[in-house]
Parts: sequence; structure tokens; C-alpha cells
Amino acid sequence: MVRHFQRGQKARLGDLTLGTDLYVGVSISGPGMTFDISCFGLDADERLSDDRYFIFYNQHASPEESLQLLGPQAGDTESFRITLDRVPQAIDRLSFTATIDGDGTMAQAAPGYLRIVAGGEEVARYAFDGSEFSTERAVMLGDFYRKDGWRFAAVGQGFDGGLEALLTHFGGEVAEEEAPPAPEPPAVPAPAPAVPGFAPPPGPGPVPAPAPAPPAAPVAQPAPSAPPPAAPPSQPAPPVQPTPPPAPVAAPVAAPAPVAPPQPVPAPVAPPVPAPVPPPAAVPPQAAAPPPGPPMAAEPLPAPPAGGVRTALDAFGTLGEAAGRWSLQNPQLVRVDLAADEGRPIMARLGSMVLYQGDVDFAYKGGGIKRRIVSGMTGEGFGSLMRVSGTGQVYLAEEATRLHPVELQGDALCVASQHVLAFDETLEHEVRRIDGHGIPGGSLYALQFHGHGTVVVTTHGEPLVLPVTPMTFTDANATIAWSAAAQVLVAHQVRLRRHAYPGDSGETTQLQFRGAPGNFVIVQPYEI
Amino acid sequence: MDQHMVSGHAPTPPAARMENHGPTMAKIAMRTGADLLARTGSMVAYEGFVQYESNPAALRSVASQWLSGESVPLMRCHGDGILYLADYGAHVVCVPLNDENLSVNATNVLAFDAQLEWGVQRVKGMAKFTGQGLFNFGLSGTGWVAVTSRGVPVVIDCARAGEIFVDPDALVAWSTGLEMKGKRSFKASSLIGRGSGEAYQLAFSGEGFVVVQPSEDSTERLTEQQHQQQA
Repeated sequence: MVRHFQRGQKARLGDLTLGTDLYVGVSISGPGMTFDISCFGLDADERLSDDRYFIFYNQHASPEESLQLLGPQAGDTESFRITLDRVPQAIDRLSFTATIDGDGTMAQAAPGYLRIVAGGEEVARYAFDGSEFSTERAVMLGDFYRKDGWRFAAVGQGFDGGLEALLTHFGGEVAEEEAPPAPEPPAVPAPAPAVPGFAPPPGPGPVPAPAPAPPAAPVAQPAPSAPPPAAPPSQPAPPVQPTPPPAPVAAPVAAPAPVAPPQPVPAPVAPPVPAPVPPPAAVPPQAAAPPPGPPMAAEPLPAPPAGGVRTALDAFGTLGEAAGRWSLQNPQLVRVDLAADEGRPIMARLGSMVLYQGDVDFAYKGGGIKRRIVSGMTGEGFGSLMRVSGTGQVYLAEEATRLHPVELQGDALCVASQHVLAFDETLEHEVRRIDGHGIPGGSLYALQFHGHGTVVVTTHGEPLVLPVTPMTFTDANATIAWSAAAQVLVAHQVRLRRHAYPGDSGETTQLQFRGAPGNFVIVQPYEI
Repeated sequence: MDQHMVSGHAPTPPAARMENHGPTMAKIAMRTGADLLARTGSMVAYEGFVQYESNPAALRSVASQWLSGESVPLMRCHGDGILYLADYGAHVVCVPLNDENLSVNATNVLAFDAQLEWGVQRVKGMAKFTGQGLFNFGLSGTGWVAVTSRGVPVVIDCARAGEIFVDPDALVAWSTGLEMKGKRSFKASSLIGRGSGEAYQLAFSGEGFVVVQPSEDSTERLTEQQHQQQA
């Protein structure tokens, strides 16, 4: 689930994701403007005491590679890979900044964002807009900082002066030593800095239409129809190498890839047309730049990341040592550690298991529960349950819907029966039936849970939690769950002109919720 | 029109043979001489000059053991340009093979380089239990593969995790070389009635990894659509 941040908002990273191997993408653009996006690794005094932790276009990784610059990809102007559990203790804060290279002010910047992606899924996004700034030439976008674990803050603070001034701001004296490499771009706006090996890909991100620049290209371009691939005008974009050499065993997420030793891999891309360049293409990034002039026409694609299969798959993480009995492996997969809490069994929807480890027993649940639940159910909603017991770990999922473990501590929750994935057997549950003319299928079945334990609720898409007010109405098909103290009524809307247009099968029957303040109802953006 | 709304979704220049454009679309840089085999019906857009040859004769014999041979759900793509592929909003993972082997569930293959060695395998023992059996693409060599997954996949390193049991419907891919065997988890008595659920799993152990999707939906969408169009 993407959590949207406002300027100044803070959150614990642990609440956003369990992963510590994060992808941070920044998208920022503006008419005719180029941005340098950097990451400052600051100490507890918010100073850049170690300039090896200033990650920018001239320094792509910190010494232990916990911070890496990945270059533009997936719609982001710039992207980083941040392995938080490998960041040295001395680094207390990671500050992501964008500075304008060349002319312009932040006020001219187009809407952009900073986003955090974990396990291939975006978990947080802080969107900003040029209108929030004025004449600043730099902006501090967001910070990761340590405070009982890592937290994220959406900063969105403009800063006068460019990268150089920002460095001085953070660095103090260090900036003096830092001076030679850093200030170069601000000083020379027009010609690209003379460091071709490292230069960020010249295309300023995805925003300007990736014009194939046909007028310029034809000189050497054989197939006039060959479109954007020829876009990188100066050199192949430095092949992004998302995965560092095998991490020390400490990092559970980026496990060393035993299958593929991390030496540079020859381009698996099939022999490109202008065969002259195959060997250089196999050499890692910088070395690939030299092949002179002509091959630009149909230049070979840069080599894929070294490391083969495992590298590509590492982005999705591997089974983690998750904490607690119920945890989310990713937004669509929940992990249950049956061994926790003295091996209490759980009830799960039949067929929801995708994977398990260890000693686990599945039993088709007949008898009491079956009678209580199934008898009241129309077949389609709640098929039947299985009882899962043992000491292993079970992973449950349902048609790639989003899963939400809800922990009940003595309170009660009603969940529409088709949205129950699993629950602790210790929870008491009973079927509630809401009848009403006009409800699809005749009536709506809900399971009311109460007691102490966890119930996993499924939603298609990101749910909406509405507080119950005197006038709260929902569509019966989109209603997922509600606090049990809320009263549910079936409301009919009288439409005077209900036949005014054809096909008016529309929104004539809703559920109305009433209750004391504090009650809520959960709705999904999907009508079954 | 407010260009800001859409400009963030413009493609980036390709940096590799296969890349993701967002989580659910694959972007493939096509070159003459580097052909691609893709699922029929998976193309959503292309730029440049790309041609498609569906049901290529050369593939028929390979896949004849899989389907009854009337048509192969693969098309050969060749030309120069950029090709965008998707499968009904499923997550797409682009995997480079570096002289490695990968076995991918047939419904989860989106595209792969034609120079890879490939074959259709029947997963041992599966047919006995599930009726229709489980077919897989065995891919090996050096090149790229695009794999789909319904939902964000999870990768399990069997060497670290020990023996794991996977629902065959949720299985996406695994590295060959793993030891694999079938396991029935339900007792016979529980199969009476509606005992369809977790009756059968595949157990994996050894050195290698398994990719699992958070969904038991193994329906064939692309080919289904094609059949409907033909009908």
C-alpha cells in the first residue's frame, strides 16, 4: 500500500515495510532544467563528517555499498538502493536532495516525487510541486534518520544556493576538501562535466518526450525507423548494477548469490548488428564508453546487470525472519508462524496456502464450524475453511489481493465473509446476515469476530477507512468490514427519475452505517 | 492538456535488453538478429519496425507434446524498435540468464530471447494428481526471460530455508537442479466432499531458489482471449 506523505510528515520505516533493502526513486523535472540528485550520509550532528557518504553523480556508492546510486530507471529521474541494516552506526541520517544544475529556480519545477519501494512494491511517496518553492536552487526532499530504528521524514525544504552551498551547509570544513570534485557542475552549467565515465545519463529523466532526435541521427543511423534506442546521445547509459558483490552474510535480504558469481557478465544480448564491438561490451561500465564514433548508430545495448538470475530476483527479497505470529511478507502475502504462541492453530480459507515450511498439518474443517458457517453461507462467498496446525510457517494469499492483518484486542469486527482470509482459532466468530431487498444475492453475510487474536482481511486495491457519521453510506459490494458496534441498515434511495436513462441498474441500494463516534467502515475500490 | 499528469509515465531510454516499465509491463529493446519469442497476444505497444510471426512452424514440433499441436501460444518477434508486453496486469520480472537454467510454469512465461535453449517439460508426477498436469518451459543459456507473476512474487532460497512445500498453482519458476517431489497433505478422509484445497504440494529441497506468486490463479488469460477471438 502506498502511503502518501505531506511535507513535514514523519513515519517509522518499520510501519511502512519490514524490508531494509530499499529502493528510493526521485522524480523531478522542469522545463529546460537539469537536476542533480544526491544523498548525504550525515552524522548525529547533521554534518557530513565522512565525505565517502556523499552519494552523487561522481561517487556512486559508499565504501560498503549500503548506499548506491542506480541512475534513472522506471520513470524516476534518479534512483538509489539503500541497504539500511548495513549503513554504519556513525551515519545517523540520510538526506536526499535535488539541486538545479544550470539556470532556473525551484519554483519552475514540475510536480515530482520521492518514493520508497520495498520488495518491488511502492510503500511510500512524497509528492511535491514547484509551487511550494520560490527562488531556491536546491531542495532537501526527504530524510531517513535513526530514532528507535529508522524513520522517514518528508522534508520538502528549499535551500538557497546550489549543490556547493548545500555541501557547505552540511559539511563545514569538509566541504573544503570536497571542493575539487563537487562544485564542478554548478560552475560549468552548459557543457557536461568532463567526467564521461560517470556522468549521469544525459537525458534529464523521463519527462521530455524521449525524442529520437531524428534530425541529428540520420548521419549514422541505418534503420530510420529505429526509434528511441538511439536516444542516449553520448554513450550507452552506464549499465546499472543494482546488486553489489555478495553482501556479507549479515544481510538476509540480499543473500549472496551462490548460483552466479558476481563477475561481469558478457552481454547476453544477442549479437548486435554492428558486430565490431562485442568484446568491449562485455567489459564493465566505464570501459564500455570508449568505442569511438560510428557505433552510435545502432549501439549495442549496455550489458545487463552482472549476476544473472539471482540478481534480478533479489529485488523481491527472500523469505525473511519476520517478527511475530502474523506478518506481511509483501502486501499480498501473509506469513503465519504457527510455532509462535504455543502453536495455536489458525483457520484459513480452503486453498489459500501458497507455500509452507516445516511441519504443518491441514485439516478440512467439517463439523461444528462447518455447520455454523457453511450452513448460513451461500456457496459463493465463503467456501469452507481449513484448520492449519503444527509448528512451521505458512504463507497465505488470495488472488493477489492486498492483505491486512487486523489484531483484535477484546474488540469486535465484522468482516464480509468473502473477505476473510484467515484468523486465529481463538477468536470467537459468528455469522451475521444482513438481508435487504436489492442486495446482490439477496443478503450479505458477515463474520463477526471478537476476542483476542488476528484476522486477515483481503481487499482489492487500497482500502478506505471511513468514520461512521450520521450519514455514512456504502455500496454493499465494496464493503469489506466494519466495527461491530456500528448498526447496519439497508437504505433505498428513491429516485424520481429512475428510468430517465437506460440501464439504470445503478446505485439504488446502499448500506447505511450508524453508530457512536469511533466506529468505522472499510471500503475497497472494487465492486465485485 | 496538463502534460504533468502523464509525463511521469513516459518511457526511459532502454538500458538493457529487457526492463520493466512500471511493475506490470516489460520493455524490450529489439534488434535485428536478436529475435524474441513472446506469448501470443501479449504485445501492448511497440515503436519502430517490429514484425510478428505467430505460430511459427519451427516451434510447432517442440510444443506439440504440450498442446495437441494445433497452435503454439508463442509468436516470434523480430525487427528493430522497442516492444512493450504485458499480461492482464500481472507483475513482470525480467530475469537475465547467465549460462543458467530456469524452469518456468508455462502460463508464467511472457517472453524470452530466441537464442536460449528451451523445451516444454512435463513436471514429473503432477498429472497423476491434478488431472491436467503441469507444464513448464525449461530455459537455459545466456539471455533474458520475462516472467509474469500474479501479485508481488517472493523468492525462496532453498539452501537457506530448507525443504519447502509449494502449492502448484502458485508456483512461478524454479532453478533446475532442485530436488522436487510431490506431497499429499490431506488425509484421505478429508478429501471426501469438497476436499479440493491443499491436497497436493510440490516439495523442493537442495541448492537453488523457487519463485512463488501470492495467488493460486493459474488461469491462462492470453491464450483464452485468443481462443475467444477465433471462435
